[in-house]
Amino acid sequence: MGHLDEQFRQVEDLQDEASPNFVEEVVVVFFKDSGRLISNLEQALEKYPRDFNRWDAYMQQLKGSCSSIGASRMKNECMSFRDNCGQRSVEGCMGSLQKLKREHAILRQKLESYFQLLRQVGPAGAATRPAM
Amino acid sequence: MMELKAKGSTSIKALLVEDIEVCRLVLSTILLRLHCEVTLAMNGKEAVDLFLEGKKFDIVLFDKNMPIMTGPEAIVKIRAMGETDVKMVGVSADDHAMEAFMSVGADLFVPKPMRMEALGPIIQEVINKKKNDMV
Repeated sequence: MGHLDEQFRQVEDLQDEASPNFVEEVVVVFFKDSGRLISNLEQALEKYPRDFNRWDAYMQQLKGSCSSIGASRMKNECMSFRDNCGQRSVEGCMGSLQKLKREHAILRQKLESYFQLLRQVGPAGAATRPAM
Repeated sequence: MMELKAKGSTSIKALLVEDIEVCRLVLSTILLRLHCEVTLAMNGKEAVDLFLEGKKFDIVLFDKNMPIMTGPEAIVKIRAMGETDVKMVGVSADDHAMEAFMSVGADLFVPKPMRMEALGPIIQEVINKKKNDMV
Protein backbone atom coordinates (compact mmCIF):
# COMPACT_ATOMS: atom_id res chain seq x y z
CA MET A 1 0.00 0.00 0.00
CA GLY A 2 1.26 3.47 -0.89
CA HIS A 3 1.40 6.34 1.56
CA LEU A 4 -1.32 8.26 -0.26
CA ASP A 5 -4.61 7.05 -1.69
CA GLU A 6 -7.07 8.38 -4.26
CA GLN A 7 -8.12 11.22 -1.94
CA PHE A 8 -4.78 12.96 -2.57
CA ARG A 9 -5.63 13.01 -6.27
CA GLN A 10 -8.96 14.64 -5.34
CA VAL A 11 -7.05 17.34 -3.46
CA GLU A 12 -4.78 17.85 -6.48
CA ASP A 13 -7.86 18.23 -8.69
CA LEU A 14 -8.96 21.16 -6.52
CA GLN A 15 -5.82 23.09 -7.46
CA ASP A 16 -6.29 25.57 -10.26
CA GLU A 17 -4.83 28.77 -11.67
CA ALA A 18 -6.55 30.83 -8.96
CA SER A 19 -5.01 28.59 -6.26
CA PRO A 20 -1.74 27.36 -7.80
CA ASN A 21 -0.25 26.25 -4.47
CA PHE A 22 -3.40 24.73 -3.01
CA VAL A 23 -2.02 21.21 -2.61
CA GLU A 24 1.08 22.39 -0.80
CA GLU A 25 -1.06 24.63 1.40
CA VAL A 26 -3.26 21.66 2.33
CA VAL A 27 -0.21 19.56 3.13
CA VAL A 28 1.29 22.29 5.32
CA VAL A 29 -1.99 22.61 7.22
CA PHE A 30 -2.25 18.83 7.53
CA PHE A 31 1.15 18.52 9.17
CA LYS A 32 0.36 21.42 11.48
CA ASP A 33 -2.93 19.75 12.48
CA SER A 34 -1.55 16.24 12.75
CA GLY A 35 1.51 17.34 14.72
CA ARG A 36 -0.75 19.07 17.21
CA LEU A 37 -3.17 16.13 17.42
CA ILE A 38 -0.34 13.64 18.00
CA SER A 39 1.08 15.89 20.69
CA ASN A 40 -2.35 16.18 22.36
CA LEU A 41 -2.67 12.41 22.29
CA GLU A 42 0.75 11.87 23.81
CA GLN A 43 -0.13 14.24 26.63
CA ALA A 44 -3.41 12.41 27.16
CA LEU A 45 -1.63 9.05 27.30
CA GLU A 46 0.47 10.38 30.14
CA LYS A 47 -2.11 12.45 31.96
CA TYR A 48 -5.05 10.04 31.66
CA PRO A 49 -3.74 6.49 32.03
CA ARG A 50 -6.02 3.78 30.64
CA ASP A 51 -8.62 6.35 29.64
CA PHE A 52 -9.29 4.51 26.38
CA ASN A 53 -12.39 6.52 25.54
CA ARG A 54 -10.44 9.77 25.69
CA TRP A 55 -7.51 8.31 23.74
CA ASP A 56 -9.94 7.00 21.12
CA ALA A 57 -11.57 10.43 20.77
CA TYR A 58 -8.21 12.07 20.07
CA MET A 59 -7.32 9.40 17.54
CA GLN A 60 -10.69 9.79 15.83
CA GLN A 61 -9.81 13.43 15.12
CA LEU A 62 -6.46 12.42 13.65
CA LYS A 63 -8.13 9.77 11.51
CA GLY A 64 -10.45 12.40 10.05
CA SER A 65 -7.50 14.64 9.31
CA CYS A 66 -5.62 11.80 7.56
CA SER A 67 -8.70 10.94 5.51
CA SER A 68 -8.91 14.48 4.17
CA ILE A 69 -5.60 14.27 2.34
CA GLY A 70 -5.52 10.53 1.66
CA ALA A 71 -2.75 9.65 4.13
CA SER A 72 -3.70 5.97 3.93
CA ARG A 73 -0.94 4.34 5.96
CA MET A 74 -1.37 6.86 8.74
CA LYS A 75 -5.11 6.31 8.65
CA ASN A 76 -4.59 2.57 9.01
CA GLU A 77 -2.41 3.11 12.06
CA CYS A 78 -5.13 5.34 13.51
CA MET A 79 -7.60 2.50 13.04
CA SER A 80 -5.17 0.05 14.62
CA PHE A 81 -4.81 2.34 17.63
CA ARG A 82 -8.59 2.56 17.97
CA ASP A 83 -8.87 -1.23 17.77
CA ASN A 84 -6.35 -1.45 20.61
CA CYS A 85 -8.45 1.03 22.58
CA GLY A 86 -11.43 -1.24 22.03
CA GLN A 87 -9.40 -4.16 23.36
CA ARG A 88 -8.15 -1.99 26.25
CA SER A 89 -4.56 -2.81 25.39
CA VAL A 90 -2.12 -0.14 26.57
CA GLU A 91 0.79 -1.95 24.97
CA GLY A 92 -1.12 -2.23 21.70
CA CYS A 93 -1.97 1.48 21.75
CA MET A 94 1.63 2.46 22.44
CA GLY A 95 2.83 0.24 19.61
CA SER A 96 0.30 1.70 17.17
CA LEU A 97 1.23 5.23 18.18
CA GLN A 98 4.91 4.58 17.50
CA LYS A 99 4.09 3.20 14.06
CA LEU A 100 1.83 6.17 13.40
CA LYS A 101 4.58 8.62 14.28
CA ARG A 102 6.96 6.76 11.98
CA GLU A 103 4.49 6.92 9.10
CA HIS A 104 3.91 10.62 9.86
CA ALA A 105 7.65 11.33 9.58
CA ILE A 106 8.03 9.25 6.41
CA LEU A 107 5.07 10.96 4.75
CA ARG A 108 6.40 14.40 5.64
CA GLN A 109 9.77 13.53 4.13
CA LYS A 110 8.21 12.13 0.96
CA LEU A 111 5.93 15.10 0.46
CA GLU A 112 8.74 17.57 1.08
CA SER A 113 10.76 15.80 -1.62
CA TYR A 114 7.74 15.75 -3.92
CA PHE A 115 7.15 19.48 -3.67
CA GLN A 116 10.85 20.16 -4.07
CA LEU A 117 10.80 18.11 -7.26
CA LEU A 118 7.67 19.92 -8.46
CA ARG A 119 9.38 23.26 -7.99
CA GLN A 120 12.29 22.01 -10.09
CA VAL A 121 10.32 20.49 -12.95
CA GLY A 122 7.41 22.95 -12.96
CA PRO A 123 3.67 22.24 -13.48
CA ALA A 124 4.21 20.04 -16.59
CA GLY A 125 6.10 17.54 -14.49
CA ALA A 126 3.19 17.21 -12.07
CA ALA A 127 1.28 15.11 -14.61
CA THR A 128 3.61 12.20 -13.91
CA ARG A 129 3.61 12.26 -10.11
CA PRO A 130 5.87 9.56 -8.71
CA ALA A 131 4.03 6.87 -6.78
CA MET A 132 4.06 7.49 -3.05
CA MET B 1 -16.68 32.58 11.91
CA MET B 2 -15.47 33.20 8.40
CA GLU B 3 -17.29 33.83 5.15
CA LEU B 4 -15.94 32.78 1.76
CA LYS B 5 -17.42 33.57 -1.60
CA ALA B 6 -16.79 31.88 -4.93
CA LYS B 7 -16.40 34.04 -8.01
CA GLY B 8 -19.78 34.26 -9.71
CA SER B 9 -21.44 32.48 -6.78
CA THR B 10 -25.06 31.41 -6.78
CA SER B 11 -27.23 32.08 -3.80
CA ILE B 12 -26.63 28.69 -2.14
CA LYS B 13 -25.48 29.52 1.35
CA ALA B 14 -23.49 26.74 2.95
CA LEU B 15 -22.38 26.56 6.57
CA LEU B 16 -19.46 24.23 7.26
CA VAL B 17 -19.04 23.22 10.89
CA GLU B 18 -15.65 21.58 11.36
CA ASP B 19 -12.95 21.94 14.01
CA ILE B 20 -10.00 20.36 12.14
CA GLU B 21 -8.35 22.94 9.91
CA VAL B 22 -7.25 20.67 7.05
CA CYS B 23 -10.74 19.18 6.81
CA ARG B 24 -12.20 22.69 6.77
CA LEU B 25 -9.79 23.74 4.04
CA VAL B 26 -10.53 20.82 1.72
CA LEU B 27 -14.28 20.77 2.22
CA SER B 28 -14.72 24.53 1.97
CA THR B 29 -12.75 24.51 -1.28
CA ILE B 30 -15.04 21.82 -2.69
CA LEU B 31 -18.06 23.93 -1.70
CA LEU B 32 -16.55 27.02 -3.35
CA ARG B 33 -15.88 25.03 -6.53
CA LEU B 34 -19.57 24.16 -6.48
CA HIS B 35 -20.28 27.90 -6.39
CA CYS B 36 -21.54 28.03 -2.81
CA GLU B 37 -21.22 31.00 -0.50
CA VAL B 38 -19.40 29.40 2.43
CA THR B 39 -19.48 30.32 6.10
CA LEU B 40 -17.18 28.47 8.49
CA ALA B 41 -17.84 27.58 12.12
CA MET B 42 -15.34 25.80 14.37
CA ASN B 43 -17.83 23.87 16.49
CA GLY B 44 -21.50 23.18 17.05
CA LYS B 45 -21.99 26.13 19.39
CA GLU B 46 -20.71 28.61 16.79
CA ALA B 47 -23.17 27.11 14.33
CA VAL B 48 -26.07 27.43 16.78
CA ASP B 49 -25.06 31.03 17.53
CA LEU B 50 -25.20 31.89 13.83
CA PHE B 51 -28.78 30.67 13.66
CA LEU B 52 -29.62 32.55 16.87
CA GLU B 53 -28.27 35.70 15.19
CA GLY B 54 -30.79 35.16 12.43
CA LYS B 55 -28.34 33.97 9.78
CA LYS B 56 -29.92 31.83 7.07
CA PHE B 57 -28.37 28.88 5.31
CA ASP B 58 -29.54 26.47 2.62
CA ILE B 59 -27.26 23.65 3.71
CA VAL B 60 -25.20 22.91 6.81
CA LEU B 61 -22.43 20.31 6.91
CA PHE B 62 -21.45 19.11 10.37
CA ASP B 63 -18.48 17.17 11.58
CA LYS B 64 -19.45 14.87 14.43
CA ASN B 65 -16.93 15.22 17.25
CA MET B 66 -16.01 18.82 18.03
CA PRO B 67 -15.12 20.67 21.22
CA ILE B 68 -17.82 22.57 23.16
CA MET B 69 -20.71 21.16 21.11
CA THR B 70 -20.84 18.16 18.74
CA GLY B 71 -22.52 18.09 15.34
CA PRO B 72 -25.51 16.00 16.49
CA GLU B 73 -26.00 18.24 19.56
CA ALA B 74 -26.03 21.31 17.30
CA ILE B 75 -28.56 19.71 14.95
CA VAL B 76 -30.92 19.06 17.87
CA LYS B 77 -30.74 22.71 18.95
CA ILE B 78 -31.07 24.14 15.44
CA ARG B 79 -34.02 21.94 14.55
CA ALA B 80 -35.65 22.94 17.86
CA MET B 81 -35.50 26.55 16.66
CA GLY B 82 -37.87 25.57 13.88
CA GLU B 83 -35.20 25.35 11.18
CA THR B 84 -36.78 22.36 9.47
CA ASP B 85 -36.09 23.41 5.86
CA VAL B 86 -32.33 23.66 6.09
CA LYS B 87 -30.58 20.61 4.67
CA MET B 88 -28.45 19.16 7.47
CA VAL B 89 -25.63 16.84 6.40
CA GLY B 90 -23.49 14.84 8.80
CA VAL B 91 -19.90 14.28 7.68
CA SER B 92 -17.53 12.03 9.60
CA ALA B 93 -14.80 9.42 9.35
CA ASP B 94 -16.30 7.74 12.43
CA ASP B 95 -17.85 4.38 11.57
CA HIS B 96 -20.71 4.89 14.04
CA ALA B 97 -21.53 8.45 13.05
CA MET B 98 -24.42 7.75 10.71
CA GLU B 99 -26.76 6.57 13.44
CA ALA B 100 -25.76 9.50 15.68
CA PHE B 101 -26.65 12.00 12.95
CA MET B 102 -29.77 10.43 11.50
CA SER B 103 -31.33 9.82 14.92
CA VAL B 104 -31.29 13.57 15.67
CA GLY B 105 -32.79 14.76 12.40
CA ALA B 106 -29.97 15.06 9.89
CA ASP B 107 -31.18 14.70 6.31
CA LEU B 108 -28.14 12.91 5.09
CA PHE B 109 -24.87 11.36 6.21
CA VAL B 110 -21.76 11.30 4.04
CA PRO B 111 -18.59 9.54 5.18
CA LYS B 112 -15.27 11.35 5.16
CA PRO B 113 -13.43 12.07 3.03
CA MET B 114 -16.17 14.01 1.28
CA ARG B 115 -15.62 14.15 -2.49
CA MET B 116 -16.75 16.52 -5.20
CA GLU B 117 -18.72 13.76 -6.93
CA ALA B 118 -20.62 13.05 -3.69
CA LEU B 119 -21.28 16.68 -2.77
CA GLY B 120 -22.16 17.88 -6.28
CA PRO B 121 -25.53 16.09 -6.51
CA ILE B 122 -26.40 17.15 -2.95
CA ILE B 123 -25.81 20.81 -3.79
CA GLN B 124 -27.75 20.43 -7.04
CA GLU B 125 -30.68 19.03 -5.08
CA VAL B 126 -30.59 22.08 -2.80
CA ILE B 127 -30.50 24.37 -5.85
CA ASN B 128 -33.45 22.56 -7.43
CA LYS B 129 -35.48 22.76 -4.22
CA LYS B 130 -34.74 26.46 -3.86
CA LYS B 131 -35.85 27.11 -7.45
CA ASN B 132 -39.06 25.11 -6.91
CA ASP B 133 -39.80 27.00 -3.69
CA MET B 134 -39.47 30.30 -5.57
CA VAL B 135 -42.03 29.32 -8.23
